[in-house]
Amino acid sequence: MGNNPYKPVPVRIERVTIENDARDLKSFDLRFVDEGEREKWNFLPGQFVFLSIAGVGEAPFGIASAPDEELLKFTVKRVGAFTTALHEMEEGMVIGVRGPFGSAYPFELMQKRDVLIVSGGFSFTTLRAVIVHILKKENRPNYGRLVVVYGARTPGELLYKEELRAWSKSPELELNLCADRVCGADFFAQGNEGETAVQEGLVPDILKGVKIEVGNAVALVCGPPIMLRYTHPVLKEMGFKPEQVFLSLENRMKCGIGKCGRCNIGPKYVCKDGPVFSFEELLRLPEEY
Amino acid sequence: MKVFLKHDDLKKLLEGIAREGRLFAPVKKDWYSGWARVSSMGEIVLRGEQAQLKGEEVNSREPAKVFVFPQSEVMFEFDEERAVEATEVPAVVVFGLRSCDGRAMAFLERFFVENRPEDPLVRQRREKATLIGVACNSPADSCFCTAVGGGPHERKGLDVLLREVNGGFLGEAETEKGEKLLAGFPAANEKDEAEAEKRRQEAEGKMALRIDLKRLKEVLDKGFNSPVWERLALECVNCGACTFLCPTCHCFDVTDETVRGKKKRSRVWDSCQFTLYSQHASGHNPRLNPAARYRNRVMDKFKYTVDMVGELSCVGCGRCVRVCPAGIDIRVAVAEILREEEAGKDGQ
Repeated sequence: MGNNPYKPVPVRIERVTIENDARDLKSFDLRFVDEGEREKWNFLPGQFVFLSIAGVGEAPFGIASAPDEELLKFTVKRVGAFTTALHEMEEGMVIGVRGPFGSAYPFELMQKRDVLIVSGGFSFTTLRAVIVHILKKENRPNYGRLVVVYGARTPGELLYKEELRAWSKSPELELNLCADRVCGADFFAQGNEGETAVQEGLVPDILKGVKIEVGNAVALVCGPPIMLRYTHPVLKEMGFKPEQVFLSLENRMKCGIGKCGRCNIGPKYVCKDGPVFSFEELLRLPEEY
Repeated sequence: MKVFLKHDDLKKLLEGIAREGRLFAPVKKDWYSGWARVSSMGEIVLRGEQAQLKGEEVNSREPAKVFVFPQSEVMFEFDEERAVEATEVPAVVVFGLRSCDGRAMAFLERFFVENRPEDPLVRQRREKATLIGVACNSPADSCFCTAVGGGPHERKGLDVLLREVNGGFLGEAETEKGEKLLAGFPAANEKDEAEAEKRRQEAEGKMALRIDLKRLKEVLDKGFNSPVWERLALECVNCGACTFLCPTCHCFDVTDETVRGKKKRSRVWDSCQFTLYSQHASGHNPRLNPAARYRNRVMDKFKYTVDMVGELSCVGCGRCVRVCPAGIDIRVAVAEILREEEAGKDGQ
């Protein structure tokens, strides 16, 4: 049983980053323990893995690092037994990983087109991977404009703040950050030395202000159900057709390979047929997500 | 080739296997019938010819899927964070499956193994099992294999099918493994074959239900939002018994345990009838409504697996009909679904 898709391989926690003031969002940068294992991992942003802790369990997470980054990155919110155990782990400790699973964002379709990224809350993880991937020097000429609308409840809940700061000064992308509430005392919210200030407003409202040539664009959307509900009408208003809009879904899952059943949306498994679906595909499926 | 096994020959064959400790067959377990290792023929509960049989006298309550997909199995153990093989799967010979369970085995093989990526656990167990089916000559009232494309004398999914006739069994191999098992037995004669055929026809004649499967699929393709689901699910208590005893239900949960410092990862049957089955970590649940869960089961049997792997996943074994504490009958449900669609047409 050399190729058992259920077996995790060991990875060492290289770095733990606390992402928010509530300290319930942490990023883990992982390095494979076995030499040569990293080379076997061909993935594209959008795909996911299962992280594993022996004796505790495992859970699925989107890959937040780009294919060319040396370490695998995951950002995890502490909600249940597994994520609580993971949050208690420290740099140097070893956990397990298996994957990569599922579909990626449509990079072929995105070639030479403008890319609009719309994200809310901590769903930003796999979209960070998209941004890092596109911003890579060799890759950047293959894409048109890169426009990002990213919001959270408060500026402090935005992930990857150091990178956001750097990106907001970069001419390679257009960053629109927003938060439901912006407190004036929040340094990050104000913007500093040419940084993008965090606007007060909801993602769909900020999106309305984005100018993009829709005929030549692809939209990648990821966020909580409430954000999605109010974002679709805006995208439609902007002129996006359902086949130009891609979403990453998450249903409860246990296996990652279309066997354990539960993640189905009608006859499609999110783990195997997704997690990235075009909105056009989703319109043909029942609303079971 | 068809061979003939006298009752005594079969007994000797099975006793030989039993002596090696490899024979499994349906036995009486407390208040129900299930599968167990047997050492003598007397333990086997398998009736063929009596009239007026109840479901459990025809087929085990526990589905034969336990041999490729046990209710609970250790997937592997851990050495630190590294997964290491659990103990090897033993070779078994399973005697006394009915054709419906054989078909279910074929479905599970299609779903778990041929449908990539393969599940190595199911593949290994199927490779290590030799399945000796016994044809049904007296199906129960709750049986309906012929309505879903099967038959009481079907060989699909089995290694060997035995069909009882006067004085013994007509044996037919479906696989190489089966041929090996039957090698050395004399060829059957025409009279025995004719008798087996007659019994097959009689058995099939006892199952009157017909389902227009093509139309059912078409109706289900459009029927996700039909009002019929709320009505059908009214009596359902979402106990999950139908899914646990269904020979094709394949859903599982994955769970870790630590026993005396040894860490293990296991999988265990799960059911789409349970709330937690589909509940997200956030608390959001795509199938919060019991009717949505009931719909998922019926859709899965007659539509979803057809879309996914090209095969129905109802084999007509009738177990869900027999065990449902609310008396829900999937045959009635299917009739209702088709009737609802007719009524809908009239209304237009």
